[in-house]
Amino acid sequence: MRDRSFAAVRSARRTLTLLAASLTVALAPAAHSQSVDRTRSDSGTPASRDFGGTWDRAAPPRPTGAAPTPTPQETGVSPALGGSGVPGARPSNGAAPPAVPTPPLKPEFLGKYQARQKEVRDATARGEPLATPDVQCLPQGMPGMMLAIFPMEVLQTSGQLTIIEEAFNQVRRIYVGGQPVAIEDAEPGFFGHSWARWDGDTLVVETVGIKDVVRYQNVPHSANVRINERMRKTDADHFEDEVTVVDPEYLTEPWKFTFRYQRRPDYKMYEYICEDNREYEDASGQQRLRVNPR
Amino acid sequence: MRRNAIRSASFGAVAVLALLSATVARAHHSFAMFDNDHQIKLKGKVSDFQWQNPHVYLELDAPSDKAGGKIASWTIECANPGILNRIGWKFNMIKPGDEVTVIVAPLRDGQPGALLKEVTLPDGRVFGNGGPAGPALIH
Repeated sequence: MRDRSFAAVRSARRTLTLLAASLTVALAPAAHSQSVDRTRSDSGTPASRDFGGTWDRAAPPRPTGAAPTPTPQETGVSPALGGSGVPGARPSNGAAPPAVPTPPLKPEFLGKYQARQKEVRDATARGEPLATPDVQCLPQGMPGMMLAIFPMEVLQTSGQLTIIEEAFNQVRRIYVGGQPVAIEDAEPGFFGHSWARWDGDTLVVETVGIKDVVRYQNVPHSANVRINERMRKTDADHFEDEVTVVDPEYLTEPWKFTFRYQRRPDYKMYEYICEDNREYEDASGQQRLRVNPR
Repeated sequence: MRRNAIRSASFGAVAVLALLSATVARAHHSFAMFDNDHQIKLKGKVSDFQWQNPHVYLELDAPSDKAGGKIASWTIECANPGILNRIGWKFNMIKPGDEVTVIVAPLRDGQPGALLKEVTLPDGRVFGNGGPAGPALIH
């Protein structure tokens, strides 16, 4: 009886293997003959609502009359050699800060925030930078991950946008439609709980449940902070994410800034695991490097 | 010919992307612990090449003025695999035993650690360390 059932399983397994093999043979030419654009969604999503693909952050539009961006030849730093090709890109000679306006913190929080910012600037100027969550290899969380310091991948499936940021392997899920999580039930996390609805071709996203330690630009927030986003394609290969941080307990008015992206076709994302993080925070809060680990 | 065209096109793409993204250039952390204004050149033998996040590390045994001309073991911080891949590095292009020349910004705290600016491989190829780390200022 036992032998017979083993024989039956073996025979079934053989049939399945044969079936799989013939299917592979049958499908292989089709797969080769189709050119797959993996940078776009395949669900029949109209282009105006299609955020699927790999993206890089993009500079804001140049103000009218501004000087054109210098070419790498003008700067003498070849991007092929790893230079950014742009003067001022080095942190030590004053990289342009992200275009984020000063947070409209209430006076009782603004003083402490400004004092800390000054401490960070002074320590950096002295060559004794203070440790940040980056040094601890913690993910940036929301909304920092949307800055896309490294390329970002958006997977658009039915009822969900999944955003993967290469830095720190950050993953964020936005549920489109359905019931939002009540703020008092939102378990705090790095990326919070996001749901969205369509307003024409704009995806309107609301996020709640951000952990206290997650502080974009070092800005503190309450447990009731809401991050509103309006994501909109500006053309086939660009989209922008208009962010509004609403936090009446900490802010005098909503804090607004915009992230912009450009399509990076055919980019394949790299993994990012903090395998051996040699940076650490010393007893004084300063950032240090562990040398000669052996 | 075609390969050159592709290479040139991809360098062009890298250039454009770098230019567009430079206004928000940001690294994993501040590089202010390295003395960018007093870069040094070291020539030595690679004892280890660790290709990983959050940084790639090159361990180099090289004589230096700091060690009175004697050979010291240097820990040289490179960018991360993603940044380095995007500017043409490959995970296996440096191996223990390789003789390389590097231009680095040493740690300000006096330890034998540094931030890479530029590396010259045994075959003469030269690689930078990505936009956030900045270029070599000496040669």
